[in-house]
Amino acid sequence: MAEKTVIRKATIGGRSFVLRNRDVMRALRNVEPEPIMSHYVVVGLRRFPPKQVISAVTGLDRADFTTHHARRTLMRLGFLAGRHGAMSRASDANAQQAPSACAPAPERLADRLRPLVGQWVAIKDGDVIHAAESAQALVGWLGQHGQHADSVFRVPDDELAATGLAPL
Amino acid sequence: MRFNFREIPDPGQQTIRARPIIDVVVESLEIAPQACLLDSGATAIRFGGYVAELCGVDLSDAPEKQIAVGGALVTARMAEVGLLVAGGEDAYSWTAPVWFCDPWTPGFGLLGLTGFFDHFEVTIASYEERIELTPISP
Repeated sequence: MAEKTVIRKATIGGRSFVLRNRDVMRALRNVEPEPIMSHYVVVGLRRFPPKQVISAVTGLDRADFTTHHARRTLMRLGFLAGRHGAMSRASDANAQQAPSACAPAPERLADRLRPLVGQWVAIKDGDVIHAAESAQALVGWLGQHGQHADSVFRVPDDELAATGLAPL
Repeated sequence: MRFNFREIPDPGQQTIRARPIIDVVVESLEIAPQACLLDSGATAIRFGGYVAELCGVDLSDAPEKQIAVGGALVTARMAEVGLLVAGGEDAYSWTAPVWFCDPWTPGFGLLGLTGFFDHFEVTIASYEERIELTPISP
């Protein structure tokens, strides 16, 4: 199903922008998420710091705006937002709910893993802090950002990958 | 040391299954402990070959054999490596033979009899989805 285009005017750091949700997704497609300190937004199933997203889309320096401003702007565009250890807040990710609607229930880690089938994930404090296509890329990201995971594994994409199968 | 089972989505289904998985630090790879499935049907500890690469374990002169994993033959090469498991305030480290396999289908390492089950008394309480490990004194 085609995703609805959401367009919003926003003034950030004293400058006016016309932002589209599709442009945000396109701009972030090949960008590696930086570590989440507290707040995040979900873009294309990945979690990004809000300031990273707004900076990537607008070209603004991150010192020119606040995390809350970035978060609010992205929620108005329909992106899910959340905070580590708290219930997710969602705007109309598919333009079907009122902006700033509160998600009904917190996600379990297993539910967060479901869209990441086949990918390597790093888990920290019960949450996915990064996902990558290979173990090498994942560990590289951890090292590059000074992160320390509690656990890394590949989310099983079939039953063979999920079971031990007792090698002979 | 006590651990809860790890909830993992069932592949291709909307269900979730809790599995006996714990995290093991291999050699100096402390930033990325490897999730491992407790597998009493496996004769030894198995990891994907990428783990050796990430840890800098040299397998060039390692003993090598073909083993079957998930119905497929894989090349396994063995090295003695340092392992560490931590739970709560307790941690236990030991050295064990580990077979690094290529290709590697499972999403986790496998902790089998030699190198793991012979180092711990292991309780897998599936009904309560809990694991208890008690290191065996040498």
